[in-house]
Amino acid sequence: MAKVTDIVLWDKPGERVLLLGNQAIARGALEANIAVFAAYPGTPSSELTDTMAAVAKKAGVYMEYSTNEKVAFETALAAAWSGLRAMTAMKHVGLNVAADTFMSAVGMGVEGGFVIMVADDPSMWSSQNEQDTRVYGKFANVPVLEPADPHEAKEMTKYAFELSEKFKHFVILRTTTRSSHARGDVILGELPEEIKTGKRKFGNFKKDPTRFVDIPAHARKFHPIVLEKIEKIREELNNCPFNRIEGKEDAKVGIIAPGLSYAYVKEALAWLGVEDVKILKLGTPFPVPYGLLEKFFDGLEKVLIVEELEPVVEEQVKVWAYDKGIRIPIHGKDLVPRVYEMTTRRAVKAIAKFLGVNTPINFEELDAKYKKALEIVPPRPPTLCPACPHRNTFYAIKKATHSKAIYPSDIGCYTLGVLPPLNTVDTTVAMGASIGIAHGLDVALNGVPGEGERKTGKEKKVIVATIGDSTFFHTGLPALANATYNRSNVLIVVLDNQVTAMTGDQPNPSTGQTPHGEGRRIPIEDVAKAMGADFVAVVDPYDLKATYETIKKALEVEGVSVVVSRQPCALYRVSQMRRKGEKWPIYYVDEEKCTGCKVCINAYGCPAIYWDEEKKQARVEPTMCWGCGGCAQICPFGAFKPVEGGEE
Amino acid sequence: MKEYNIVITGVGGQGVLTAANILGWAALRAGYKVRMGEVHGMSQRFGSVVSYVRFGEEVYGSMVPEGKGDVILAFEPVEALRYINYLKEGGMVVVNTKPIVPVQVSMGKARYPTLEEIRRIVEEDFKAKWIGFNAEELAIKAGHVVTTNTVLIGALTQIPEFPLDAEHVRDVIRLSVPPQAVEMNMKAFDLGVQAAKEILGL
Repeated sequence: MAKVTDIVLWDKPGERVLLLGNQAIARGALEANIAVFAAYPGTPSSELTDTMAAVAKKAGVYMEYSTNEKVAFETALAAAWSGLRAMTAMKHVGLNVAADTFMSAVGMGVEGGFVIMVADDPSMWSSQNEQDTRVYGKFANVPVLEPADPHEAKEMTKYAFELSEKFKHFVILRTTTRSSHARGDVILGELPEEIKTGKRKFGNFKKDPTRFVDIPAHARKFHPIVLEKIEKIREELNNCPFNRIEGKEDAKVGIIAPGLSYAYVKEALAWLGVEDVKILKLGTPFPVPYGLLEKFFDGLEKVLIVEELEPVVEEQVKVWAYDKGIRIPIHGKDLVPRVYEMTTRRAVKAIAKFLGVNTPINFEELDAKYKKALEIVPPRPPTLCPACPHRNTFYAIKKATHSKAIYPSDIGCYTLGVLPPLNTVDTTVAMGASIGIAHGLDVALNGVPGEGERKTGKEKKVIVATIGDSTFFHTGLPALANATYNRSNVLIVVLDNQVTAMTGDQPNPSTGQTPHGEGRRIPIEDVAKAMGADFVAVVDPYDLKATYETIKKALEVEGVSVVVSRQPCALYRVSQMRRKGEKWPIYYVDEEKCTGCKVCINAYGCPAIYWDEEKKQARVEPTMCWGCGGCAQICPFGAFKPVEGGEE
Repeated sequence: MKEYNIVITGVGGQGVLTAANILGWAALRAGYKVRMGEVHGMSQRFGSVVSYVRFGEEVYGSMVPEGKGDVILAFEPVEALRYINYLKEGGMVVVNTKPIVPVQVSMGKARYPTLEEIRRIVEEDFKAKWIGFNAEELAIKAGHVVTTNTVLIGALTQIPEFPLDAEHVRDVIRLSVPPQAVEMNMKAFDLGVQAAKEILGL
């Protein structure tokens, strides 16, 4: 099968291909002749970003992995101001980071189409909250489009650029995990000549301080402009190809299905065998077009809104109906849960209750059987990979602090350090928060730096923050400046695996590479020194003794210490080695030496090490060992040894 | 055919996504409408993973609804049970019987059930057919442990009422894997086919 990155650039209009929702959006952006794409990766949006990175050079599109969502937003926005079609992508919480620019610039509008792709994560498969981006749309008066399947995601992307350009306004393309990470058949459309030939597009920025400088005198006109635009767009969306009424025209009951919920509603109705119903398929949850609502409500005696998370559509519909004097029952969050993601089961249950019919299967019976089955299923949460350098760093931190410090941490693979046996993550909030929280804890628990009353010696609480390289550049920088400026006393360990690992090993300033070639690598130790850290050191976490000793030394320093623990992401390293056909050492347990003390399992916790219940000894699963040798360093009895010659 | 629902389960890193992709392409090339659902990101890190492959004339959402799965293709025994709620009554469970022991079990904080216990629940409570064999062993026989997913796909093509032709799926694998891995994967596929045939008495 052809590589997806090739398929996305195929000049084969009409061809049916299998694409991930995110890849379909990338194709849509290319079909729309995008010029600039900038993003910080974040699950579930990352594959859009990575696809753009893979095709950018060939397609003549400028693409960058920005250091955070706000910078990405500004990069793309400036291109759109200059008349180019531009896009930024982020996970839902990324919009919080970009929100300052987003909320202030919305009144300035754009010249070229500007699409903000935001991927929500209901049920939090890979996130810290499940905020609903549609609320941001309403907050900022920006239209929100949401696709129901991958093909529609592609078509909607093109439409989003056109809508943005027509009204010179921002457009949010909102997905969820289940649409971004849904694969489906997509029919390819035409690619523009510039994309096919890779011709670079140049913009033209026309100075207009009354528009682009938001001093109060200028900014006061923005709010009315935005309100006028959104009402015009609401009108326009009556004719949007992704909004339509279907089902039985003279039905007495109606169901409104926004975004992806449409897929679940269709499936639920088929499963229930219900046909006597009118459906309003809504590709634009905000703003809900009133003309279409009026047509839909005609002849209905009751309505159900099946939507995920917040009642965004429900509130708009209810307000509209109230103003219109419509008093038929309108159901929504009374029948559809407000938390976690939509499923067919949820849609089935809500519709069955709404219509007073039975569900096609007895879910309660299924639940009872399933609950019984789960009783014997051991948990298998995600863990740090075998040979993950973070495990070694955490192990060294734990040893050096006798597990007694407070450990604020951050967003990344290393958040998994919260799980036993490492238990070295006490707080995680948001990107870059570890350093701010560490500093705040120092002030709260140890007192004001420089004051006589400040706690010292054994009284002092030791605080060790951990933060990844990408997160450090994302939002760690201002927090580090704040900590050194305010004379904090914390140890910050930067887990520098030189890629943005959790989202798929994307490059960042610690990597140096960009999609267009050589970028500038920024050594974190240089940044720390420049920012006034009192102690700065670089260690290799695969050398556990050196890492332990350096952390010990750093802890003795009064002030801000920064230890950069540098070793490439193991997953990244192994995939590179596999590609090149290189081998790495595999470890095994010498049965003569293993005493069954279980340090390797109960304190270190590499997933390649398991317990042989019969022999009461540790064992290494050779297919999972990636050869870091950490086990050989932590075993008090020297029981772990590399297999002669090494082997993949 | 209206719809066919496959639930693929296993441990992150075992090749669940690759297997799902192959089946999805095979269904697409057979002319069906296709929907697949997967989870990326943190859950992939050696945790339990699940992928859905749905195809037919009428498919909508990317997730197989609970109680609607025709077959569970499990890369690991307890992972078959973890997602057994997706299986319809009388469905099939094709399972690699080689366990991957979770860290929690090694730490003594949880117990790994016996194969018999797992099988009993599948067969008795869920009235499903159990097609279990050590696919990893066959993969190693074929040339490398990474072909475990190919072995399992081979076996899957043999179950009653499976809508895709085995030769057709085999072709898609041939076209999907790197040239130097074709022979090994074809061997793995055939070993999976043979294993399922023996169990099913074909």
